[in-house]
Amino acid sequence: MAESAATGQSDLAVRGKRVRGLERAIATVAILFVLILPWLLPNPFYVHIVIMMAIFVALGGAWNIIGGYGGQLSLGHAAFFGTGAYVSTLLVNAYNISPWITLWIGGVAALLLSLPIGVICFRLQGPYFTIATIGLAEALRLLVLHYREITNGAQGLTVPFKGNAPLLLQFDSKMPYYYIAVVLAAAVLLITRRMERSRLGHYLVAIGQNQDAAEAVGINSAKAKGQALALSAFLTGVAGVYYAQYTYVIHPDGAFGLGMSIQIALVAIVGGVGTILGPALGAIIMELFVQSTQILFAGQYPGLELMVYGGLLVTVILWRPRGVLPWFESWYRRLVGRAERVSGGTP
Amino acid sequence: MDLTIFLQALITGILMAGIYALVGIGLTLIFGVVRIVNFAHGEFVMLGMYVTFWLWKLWGIDPYVSLLITMPVLFCFGVLVQRFLLQPILRAPDLAQIFMTVGISVILMNATLFLFTADFRSVKLAYSEWVWRVGGVSIPLTRLFAFLGAILLAGLLTLFLTKTDVGKALRAVAQDREVSMLLGINPERMYLLAVGLGAALAGAAGTLIVPFFYVFPTVGVVFGLIAFVVVILGTLGSIEGALLASLIVGVAESLGILFAGSDLGLVVVFAILVVTLVFRPSGLMGQR
Repeated sequence: MAESAATGQSDLAVRGKRVRGLERAIATVAILFVLILPWLLPNPFYVHIVIMMAIFVALGGAWNIIGGYGGQLSLGHAAFFGTGAYVSTLLVNAYNISPWITLWIGGVAALLLSLPIGVICFRLQGPYFTIATIGLAEALRLLVLHYREITNGAQGLTVPFKGNAPLLLQFDSKMPYYYIAVVLAAAVLLITRRMERSRLGHYLVAIGQNQDAAEAVGINSAKAKGQALALSAFLTGVAGVYYAQYTYVIHPDGAFGLGMSIQIALVAIVGGVGTILGPALGAIIMELFVQSTQILFAGQYPGLELMVYGGLLVTVILWRPRGVLPWFESWYRRLVGRAERVSGGTP
Repeated sequence: MDLTIFLQALITGILMAGIYALVGIGLTLIFGVVRIVNFAHGEFVMLGMYVTFWLWKLWGIDPYVSLLITMPVLFCFGVLVQRFLLQPILRAPDLAQIFMTVGISVILMNATLFLFTADFRSVKLAYSEWVWRVGGVSIPLTRLFAFLGAILLAGLLTLFLTKTDVGKALRAVAQDREVSMLLGINPERMYLLAVGLGAALAGAAGTLIVPFFYVFPTVGVVFGLIAFVVVILGTLGSIEGALLASLIVGVAESLGILFAGSDLGLVVVFAILVVTLVFRPSGLMGQR
């Protein structure tokens, strides 16, 4: 008996090692693919698409920290996005500070903005946080429109064009933009992984399963959610700065609008909330969707794009409430299983 | 500050409060009975506005007469939304329910944008410019009618809820679902009724403001947000609370416009939300 148990264990260990080796190989191929991807694309327009994908991986990933892991649905992440974008661009324009520095300042500004919202809303259970975030983004949009001496009102702000100036986060080729966006997206996903395995991550899981029980064993749920929101807001702000820097122009309606908030949330929801890779998958699907509707209808029909988003959201909730990632996972697991059998592993 | 200007703003706020009350009551009714927070409620108002606008534009139907069409249309729309989109996810987590109503809101807003463009539309009526002057204060008749219509509808709803068997059944489901089932009430039919009524009230509010308000696809965002503030300040699920809160919100918005600028009315409303959440999150009618 004891002997067979031991062999069983070593079998499992061998099997585990083989699977891990395979996963490592797949991950290596995926990373190599991401690194050479822009060189495979026929023209800069496609590079632009993958840059937007990477930025939305970062935005959706940041939203996922509070929306997915924290279970607190924000429909006002544009507030953090726009704050980062506006604070950075105003500083760049007024004081000639390098965007490499304002990237951090924009993130911190978004973080500071998130603190009172967290303190006020997370004492309460219910839809208050969602409503407050919608209100926050809308109030900021109106304030930016109102104080036009500072913000240039509805016309928005532009980043002064300096040509190829790497120290000012400006390049005349799209390639550097791509790699920086990939670093940003990867950073958000790695931070999410760190967070998931940290004390905070475990707290959030416990709160998500049963808040009262979590409180009973001494977890401060308001504090944990507040920390998740602060982290999420910081990363969203940084991504907002980078977005402004890449597109050279920001408007109040685009940066603080409900449309942006919904796009950010949708990336995570469609991909799968509360998972590390969900937002990455969601961003790829959403951006392909956006671009194909734009190519198909050439932007002639305003509203169609977001209407399709809304339809996608309703469909996902009705038929795939956990997003599409679980689909991909089961498909991937079957693939790994088949690869194992082919390589002659024990059944 | 000139006293008449102040009075003018005060009265404008009070008159607008009637509309906010109507939108808020619908929202709080849906929440109270179905326990769903309807993020598409502002879009129900928007739909009511468009139905009214097109009835006037195509067939010259007076907006106040069109209430007889708008309300049944929105009622049916609400019933369909409940039956096919909300019913399937009633047992899903809160997050999925919010996603769903947000999805509905996004679809409605953008379908309208797609069909009718982003143009601002308005109706022209013989009595559009009529004004009633009291002292130095001038009250536009259309705003007065909107207020009176809203109060009338809110009163009818209260009568329905307190005096009829169906209304009492609706309140029973709101108070305790299990017990109401023991009494032989079918809660799912009450859900259909609640969402239908909520949508009809929102649609009616839309109709009542068309004579003095622009109609455009994103008009519902503002009304949705204001309705939420009204409902939270007035305590989720409480109709009396919504009435009182709408008065506060309407007047505060109007005074905010007077003192801070015409484009900052909503910022004041948001400030009310923050203050409420900080000092009295359970609202005016709440226990704590």
